Amino acid sequence: MAKNRKNQSAAIRFGPALKALFLCLLIAGSAVGYVWQKSQIYQLGQQIRQREIRLARLQNDDRKLSDQLSILRSPTMLDRRARELNLGLSPAQPMQVLRLAEPASAPPENKILTRQFAERPAGAMTQ
Amino acid sequence: MTKRLQLKRVLTLLGLLCLAFAGLSSRLVDLQVWRHDELAAKAQQNTQREFWRAPRRGDILDAHGNLLATSIFVKTVCADPVLIGTQQAVVARQLALLLQMSEGDLYQRLLPRLVKNQKGETVTNRYVVLQRKVADETWQKIQMMMTNLSFGVDEKKLSRAGRAFFRDLRTSAVFTDPVDDQLRVYPNGSLAAHALGFVGTENGTNHVSQTVGRDGVELVLNSALSGVAGWRLTQTDRQKRELVALRDEDVQARDGLNVVLTIDAAIQHIVETSLADALQKHTPLSITAVVTRPRTGEILAMVTLPNFDPNNPGASPADARRNRVISDVMEPGSTFKIVVVSGALNEGAVRWADTFDCEQGHFAFAGRVLHDHEPFGILTTESIITKSSNIGAAKIGIRLGEGRLYDYVRDFGFGQRTGISLPGEARGILYPVKDWSKVSIAQIPMGQGVAVTRLQMIMAMSALANDGWLMRPMLVNRLEDRNGNVVQQYAPQRVRQVVSESTDKLMVEALKTVVTPDGTAPGAAMKDYTGAGKTGTAQKVENGAYAEHKFYSSFIGFFPADNPELCISVVMDEPKEGYYGGQVCGPVFKEIAERCASYLNIPADKNLQPGATSPPLVASGGSHTIQNP
Repeated sequence: MAKNRKNQSAAIRFGPALKALFLCLLIAGSAVGYVWQKSQIYQLGQQIRQREIRLARLQNDDRKLSDQLSILRSPTMLDRRARELNLGLSPAQPMQVLRLAEPASAPPENKILTRQFAERPAGAMTQ
Repeated sequence: MTKRLQLKRVLTLLGLLCLAFAGLSSRLVDLQVWRHDELAAKAQQNTQREFWRAPRRGDILDAHGNLLATSIFVKTVCADPVLIGTQQAVVARQLALLLQMSEGDLYQRLLPRLVKNQKGETVTNRYVVLQRKVADETWQKIQMMMTNLSFGVDEKKLSRAGRAFFRDLRTSAVFTDPVDDQLRVYPNGSLAAHALGFVGTENGTNHVSQTVGRDGVELVLNSALSGVAGWRLTQTDRQKRELVALRDEDVQARDGLNVVLTIDAAIQHIVETSLADALQKHTPLSITAVVTRPRTGEILAMVTLPNFDPNNPGASPADARRNRVISDVMEPGSTFKIVVVSGALNEGAVRWADTFDCEQGHFAFAGRVLHDHEPFGILTTESIITKSSNIGAAKIGIRLGEGRLYDYVRDFGFGQRTGISLPGEARGILYPVKDWSKVSIAQIPMGQGVAVTRLQMIMAMSALANDGWLMRPMLVNRLEDRNGNVVQQYAPQRVRQVVSESTDKLMVEALKTVVTPDGTAPGAAMKDYTGAGKTGTAQKVENGAYAEHKFYSSFIGFFPADNPELCISVVMDEPKEGYYGGQVCGPVFKEIAERCASYLNIPADKNLQPGATSPPLVASGGSHTIQNP
């Protein structure tokens, strides 16, 4: 039996409408997503740029501080400060330098040192 | 009929549409094909930006890593006179305080001017440099000042255009060059100024100013110090903010290498303060000193007074900027006797025990009369050095012969550059034997008729302190990258062995006697070290004749004599209050030597009694002096 097309046309067809709505949402969502992503890229780019500037500034500050430290530690500056503060510092004279001869290392077969510790009485350790 | 009319209308419409499309197509072809390159370039110009990334100039360090020269990034502050509008007075008043410039000068610079651009069109100038080398901190203050600048108008009541004008004025009227400039800083001021040199600025590519060495190590090692520029090719938005995601090329700049010198800042400081005292005492025209390590040829200090501040080289006269140690030549005087005596001993032309009649101070030779500073009778080879007899040296020279004397003078490095890493080194003057006069063979042994640099002279003495081996003077120890990795290491270079070790030993024995009470420089004798050296007093030559009462006085010595650690040369040009080398330069040598020995902790080689005390060297005034306990 043939369908009554007149009656049928008045009825709401949800299927196609949903499909159309879904398609519209998909397109709109994609468009919004695309714009959002572009915006994110731009914002992240700006953040990267800001951080790069900050990094450069910090590196520059680091250099400056390191240079300042070098200047403060330079012999010329130390000498000047020692004079200004009248600390009474003076270079040591050769006679004031005590030179200790480097003791020759004991040959491997020499066990004297080891034996001394080994043979020391327990009481002597506490004295 | 109707149908035909309709068809006609349709065809007309179609024709119009076709024409329109044809017009559009032709425009499209014109834009996309014919003018493609021009428009593409224009579009690229609007969005694409190229930023140069300046490399940081390398530091110069002393042998222990102390900073001698460094660079800091600074700004070039510019302005756009168009954006300033009519507010020059307000802006100039505020900027003058921060830039420390005259308000009037700034006002003039901020006025718009008509200039011709590259295409020859007359346009208003939109770029004017207000000041170069502005510290980053100052620039931040300028930015803050511009942001808070008040013009005495209620901007809320202004039109949109009026508000935009003030907004642009605050944000964009004063700006900096995109590429930072560099300021070379010498933290120790004039310390080692002649060795370091100084820098200047020149315009490089893309109107970016470049720092270039003009003298000293800064000039010689300019390419290593400069580094290589980087660049960034990127795109910007309408507000000229970079679009990081659209960066095309990003090449980091390669910073310049650090140069590590052989100079020791502490020794340089010791020498400079000692020379400053001597300058005050003897008021010479100039005074120089060099300290070397004879075994390696390393230069530990190189001083010329008067000197200059490389932070502001233009403030000193050109004379003060000249490194007299390498660029000035002079007759060496008696210090040159070491050449003829060591040559004659080495050749066997004279023996150690040989004696010479010094003619009581007057010796006629080749139509000239040679003189000694005091009459001497018979002197041994050693005594000729001890007493510094001109006649004795002349007789040794005559015995050695012209050819061999010339060879030894050449072998000791005279008449040729030493090869030090500094610009402007002189060769000195040494004529070939064929150009010698009859008296040259007697004159040259006593240091006349030749001209030498002070560096050549100390290197010759250093050779005697180094078993007869002449070394190449060494000023640069190594090149390092920013992280301290060694890129190039320079090693000491032997030039040649001028005299044998045995001859050298005899020469050292002779030179030791110079600083004894019998010698010409008892004032150079040190308390705890055996010194050796030679004095020199040379008359200055003016207008082709020897000038009366004008002398170059010198003393070159080394210590400890039998195991030399340091060789020191002191030369004064026209000293007052005495002029003999031993008299004026000997004590300066002694002071430098003792302070350096103390600093370097060189073991004493005499007076080593246990428990012996010695007065401390204490800092007082501008120098170290002996003080009783």
